[in-house]
Amino acid sequence: MILGARLGRPSKLRRLIAAAMARDLTTFLIPGPEVVRTYGLDVDAAGLKVVASPRHASVLLVAGVTISPALRDAAAVIYAQMMRPRAIFALGAGELSPLPTADVIAGLSQQGLIQGVRQLREAFAEGAFRPDVSDFDAPILHVRIEYTCPMHPEVVQNEPGSCPKCGMFLVPRDVQVKSSHGHHDHTHSQEHQHHNVDHDDAAVEYTCPMHPEVVQSEPGSCPKCGMFLEPRKTRAELPADHHQHAHSPEHEGHGMAHDAVVEYTCPMHPEVRQNEPGSCPKCGMNLVPNETQDAQTHEHAGMDSATDHGSMDHSGMDHEDMAFMSMVDVTKDLPRSSDGLPMEWIDAPFGPFFPGLPGGLLLTLTLDGDTVAGSAARPLTNNLDLSQHPSTDSTSFIEQLAGMDPLAPIAYRLLACRALENAAGLDVPVSTAAARIGALERERITSHLGWLALFGQQTGFNWLMQHAASLQLACLHADVTQAMVLKPVMQTLIKRLQRTPLLKSRTEGIGRLTADTALRGPVVRAAGINNDARSMETTYTTLGFTPVSREGGDALARLHVRLDEVSHSLALIEAAGAIELPALADIGDVSGTGEAVVETPRGMARLQLTLERGQVITAQLETPSTHHITLINSLTEQQSLGDALVAVGSLDLSPWEIRQ
Amino acid sequence: MTTALLLLLLAVGAYLVAVIEDWTTSGRFRLAAPAFAALALLGRESIVPRKSDRVFFETAPVLLLISALLAATVIPLTANLIITDLATGALFINAALVYVLVALLMAGWGPNGAYAMIGGWRFLGQLIAYAMLIVMPITAVVMRAESLLTTQIVVSQAGLWNIVYQPLGFILFFVASMALAFLPPFDLTTAKGELAGGVEAEYSGARLAVFRLGRLVLIITLAAAIVVFYLGGWQGPWLPPWAWSAIKILAVTTMMLLAGRYMPRIRETDLLGWCWMLGIPLALLNILLVGLLVLVLP
Repeated sequence: MILGARLGRPSKLRRLIAAAMARDLTTFLIPGPEVVRTYGLDVDAAGLKVVASPRHASVLLVAGVTISPALRDAAAVIYAQMMRPRAIFALGAGELSPLPTADVIAGLSQQGLIQGVRQLREAFAEGAFRPDVSDFDAPILHVRIEYTCPMHPEVVQNEPGSCPKCGMFLVPRDVQVKSSHGHHDHTHSQEHQHHNVDHDDAAVEYTCPMHPEVVQSEPGSCPKCGMFLEPRKTRAELPADHHQHAHSPEHEGHGMAHDAVVEYTCPMHPEVRQNEPGSCPKCGMNLVPNETQDAQTHEHAGMDSATDHGSMDHSGMDHEDMAFMSMVDVTKDLPRSSDGLPMEWIDAPFGPFFPGLPGGLLLTLTLDGDTVAGSAARPLTNNLDLSQHPSTDSTSFIEQLAGMDPLAPIAYRLLACRALENAAGLDVPVSTAAARIGALERERITSHLGWLALFGQQTGFNWLMQHAASLQLACLHADVTQAMVLKPVMQTLIKRLQRTPLLKSRTEGIGRLTADTALRGPVVRAAGINNDARSMETTYTTLGFTPVSREGGDALARLHVRLDEVSHSLALIEAAGAIELPALADIGDVSGTGEAVVETPRGMARLQLTLERGQVITAQLETPSTHHITLINSLTEQQSLGDALVAVGSLDLSPWEIRQ
Repeated sequence: MTTALLLLLLAVGAYLVAVIEDWTTSGRFRLAAPAFAALALLGRESIVPRKSDRVFFETAPVLLLISALLAATVIPLTANLIITDLATGALFINAALVYVLVALLMAGWGPNGAYAMIGGWRFLGQLIAYAMLIVMPITAVVMRAESLLTTQIVVSQAGLWNIVYQPLGFILFFVASMALAFLPPFDLTTAKGELAGGVEAEYSGARLAVFRLGRLVLIITLAAAIVVFYLGGWQGPWLPPWAWSAIKILAVTTMMLLAGRYMPRIRETDLLGWCWMLGIPLALLNILLVGLLVLVLP
């Protein structure tokens, strides 16, 4: 029996279909495949097929206990989009609401997973169809319709009607009823919202489509032909002489007007700009004219016919086909993106459970066709509260910090231990310090392999996705001997990546960053800066650690830095000779302040804390992803969607460690 | 009779493509897996998204299937085993497959979802890249056969297969076919990690089953076209002609499905740039070389 069964009385055919469904379980993972792997779970081996769209999934697998309320809301939206029959499979998860009770609950282990899949198969075979089914409902799913003016986004009302400012018909849009969030978490939602272009400095005036010389500030009808005047925008401070150009030849199809201020740019290299026509110095293509910001305000009356396209001399041909509202005119007022193709802007959510991005990260991209015109990114994960009210004892503080980020639990456990030891004035024996480094470096390897698998998934590089994922699982709890067995396999992987076709062109020049103080870890080392917290630790130096960096600062350089680090970490594990999870000796009733730094797989993290009689009373944490998430806007701006996603992915963000 | 037999063979072929694709993605060879997957899809709900363009949404999967089926009608498996030996067969393949673009654009526009719509737009760009590389190599093949009849094209390769006679054309046509069938690394339109399934993302249940069937038929049809144009069709020693066709088609299918596994998805700009700046000059060179060979060789 499953809660999300499909309506229908059991029949012979339905039993056959149910049996087939039980054999072909497709699953959507919450919070994401990369997190599920860090729990040591091999979903594929357990017989579940991971799919990219909730519409194609029959099982929603929720793994782990650190699911924040915002993520659970998003998961409820995902569940609502799944097709019946559908089931929820909770692996070690705690609170799931607003999701309904899980159909199958199992422990967070591979055994639990395999056992749960068996139960799921039975449940589907028996109860995929039921004569009585109930609807799934959650507050997050409630939407109401409100009406807004396409020209004046500030006009919003609950009934349809016309805009009090311009008289245009208001258009409907969906809003979430649940106001406590104030944001749209509708991952994969079907609606795309029309982007409201904000022209703060623009005023609206009204003109006749047939007689451009008729311009007035109120809506009304044309004194010459009686047609309704149409609204258009103009910049208030500009002299209102722009309507003179209405009869001049226009190349509307290319989004430019001959009489406007024109600059020429390369369609492939938007950074190339000049005032004369010519060819691009980088690729030799003919430069295309592009209106500059000022010229864009030289708007012409909105109804030049589509017959203009491509014709050089058509001054007399304007305004034919009056009934035809061309796409060119509709998009005239929209800002242009780098590819020069004006299109309707849409806001599309990528996350928090997007297959090509780390789970928990909500990236909202404003898309102009395939080009990213704007972006906003934020984590929907729990933001661990370190203010400690009431104060915490050292053991539970370590557990708290280690449980914060499923993608780097050992690094944060080590960070907490070091800070506490520093506060208590404890010294760690050299052998223990080396063994801890073994554990930290092993985590670096698994983390980088996990990133490689995610990169493979994002770019459709299936072999890399599967190979890196299985290596990650094998390395997760490996001891030194096992790690050395895996060494040649990893080196083959690295070599193979160096001669993979298309990999270089996919990543080179994408997401280029210049060295900056805000950058951390592999991201800064890929920009040519040898910034590594490990080089300041004596234990590392005695193990033969030398920091590495690469030039380039793009996604390709970051990929190579991570590959280099996998090799170096293997060498460090070999030199350390032991792997031991960080643990704290009894620190007693000490008081004091402590500080520690750990180079996590994503970069340097710093923790400062105050102890009072063995209790942590304040703590301050600085993490690499907190810095890196602020880069997303500049990295994605005017990139094509695929490049923007590669750029964001190449930062290897962990939404779990981001401090807001 | 021939039509029924060929449609049956096409269905078997599509099923085998599904088996091979499952093997290339999961690494396991399971003969029954596609049957279970298809049954499960048919049993699942299939909804029409809110605010969708119903006509486009419903038509697209069917149109994709029909487009691939139409192209399959002019593919000969043996000298007589062909649905219709059109006098313009070689051109007809190209004409029928243009509707793949229409189907994908409709599937992108129909559901009114951002991912699907971008997927549809991407395929429009992809068409601009691959279209010339489908037509121009066919031109060179036709020049040698001096006929647009697909059967005549096979017969013209009796002495020497076109893969040897015009290897350049083969490579271009093979790559363009993969782009036309939106197979990785050209799966820009259904990109899983970039668009969560793209044009497929909003389809579910029976409609998704039809869409996927259409895609499978498209792949096998294109593989069969490659065999007819470049690999000597049904010709070969010892085995009967139908067996040669089957072996060659399945081998080409496997190659098409396997290639994308070992590389990341191509960038759109690269695809367009390389197709136009490298592919088309090479295709012209191919036509020139074949023209010279036709003149020189008896």
